[in-house]
Amino acid sequence: MGMMFYWLAVESSVAELSESAEAHGFGINTDIFEANLINLAIVISVVVYFGKGFLGKILSERRAAIEADIKESEARKQAAIEAQKAEEQKLAQAEAEAERILAQAQASASSVTEQILAQAVAEIQRLEESASQDTSSSQERAIAELRQRVVELSLKKVEQELQSQLANNEDAQRQLIDRSIALLGGPS
Amino acid sequence: MHFGSLLLNSFELQHLLPSAKLEVGHHLYWQLGGLHLHGQVFITSWIVIGLLLIASFAATRNVQRIPSGIQNLMEYALEFVRDLTKNQIGEKEYRPWVPFVGTLFLFIFVANWSGALVPWKLLRLPEGELAAPTNDINTTVALALLVSLAYFYAGFKKKGLGYFAKYVQPTPVLLPIAILEDFTKPLSLSFRLFGNILADELVVGVLVLLVPLFVPLPVMLLGLFTSAIQALVFATLAAAYIHEALEGHGEEGEAH
Repeated sequence: MGMMFYWLAVESSVAELSESAEAHGFGINTDIFEANLINLAIVISVVVYFGKGFLGKILSERRAAIEADIKESEARKQAAIEAQKAEEQKLAQAEAEAERILAQAQASASSVTEQILAQAVAEIQRLEESASQDTSSSQERAIAELRQRVVELSLKKVEQELQSQLANNEDAQRQLIDRSIALLGGPS
Repeated sequence: MHFGSLLLNSFELQHLLPSAKLEVGHHLYWQLGGLHLHGQVFITSWIVIGLLLIASFAATRNVQRIPSGIQNLMEYALEFVRDLTKNQIGEKEYRPWVPFVGTLFLFIFVANWSGALVPWKLLRLPEGELAAPTNDINTTVALALLVSLAYFYAGFKKKGLGYFAKYVQPTPVLLPIAILEDFTKPLSLSFRLFGNILADELVVGVLVLLVPLFVPLPVMLLGLFTSAIQALVFATLAAAYIHEALEGHGEEGEAH
């Protein structure tokens, strides 16, 4: 229906206006009323006036909000950087502390090691000494024992020999006595 | 006195030579192969597109951290469009559709307002007259068909051939209506926009024809309002159709 009316209206207006001779080709229309210029100027100024106020307010608010947001986030960033710095400092401190403790521990460990080593060496020496002492004394003892035994055995053997040779031999006894007397420097 | 004489003057002028006239149905035809193009629509469309391009370039040429001037304005427009899309399509899938919906909104909005604010009639064409591109049915049909393509694309991309399941989703009885919807959507989209803009320009034109001064002002201001609303409606509906294609009836039923 609407379209029908529209086409009818178009037809009628076309019929009405078609007889008006119009200039063909592109051109500038200088008729202010036909171009609706005054009304458009008013409308545009109204739009600009109110729109500027309205839109300007919205835009400046938006800008202010963004500015505040950026400022806030920058402040947060700054705070975060500072916190990071502080933490890094703490970390460095802790690392230094750890290093110090480590060095200390190493030093004490090495000193303890040395001490223990020295002790061990001393102990070994002492043990060696006592061992060698032991061995030498037991050797001497063994040697002394052997000597004594050898002496004893040889004495016993000599006694036996003597007895066996002298006891049943008057001649030998006499000879021996003579020789002994001669040895003593008597008249031979 | 002055005003009265002006009015009288124009009245006489109208009778003598009908200066203020409505040129609906006349077009500046361009021949392209076998096609008859409405030249005046192209001219104003290009101007609108050029305006948008210039605004975009100007806004992004020297991007500041704290936006000011045109950057601030365009960022505000982008935010508006993004919120519109997000409200319609939903947080999860809205992002790829912001450019499409935003382009629709900005183009239609600037086109409508150009029709309502720019004194196109200062420029005389061989035939027809310059006006908002959206007061030609071809423009709005093209836009509406783009929306149709967009929501079909969205549906097929999301669900593949399973998209057709939505036609019989609540009950197969509604299949004819579901199919019909695909035709009524672009139809209503295009005719709503075209009708509103053309009607507004016609009303203004008729009033200017009758009373050239001041009387058309309220209608012109109302026209500005309607134009903005129509751009919003078109973009919102486009986003809503895309959302519908993405969601489908079944999921919607579950969500409720």
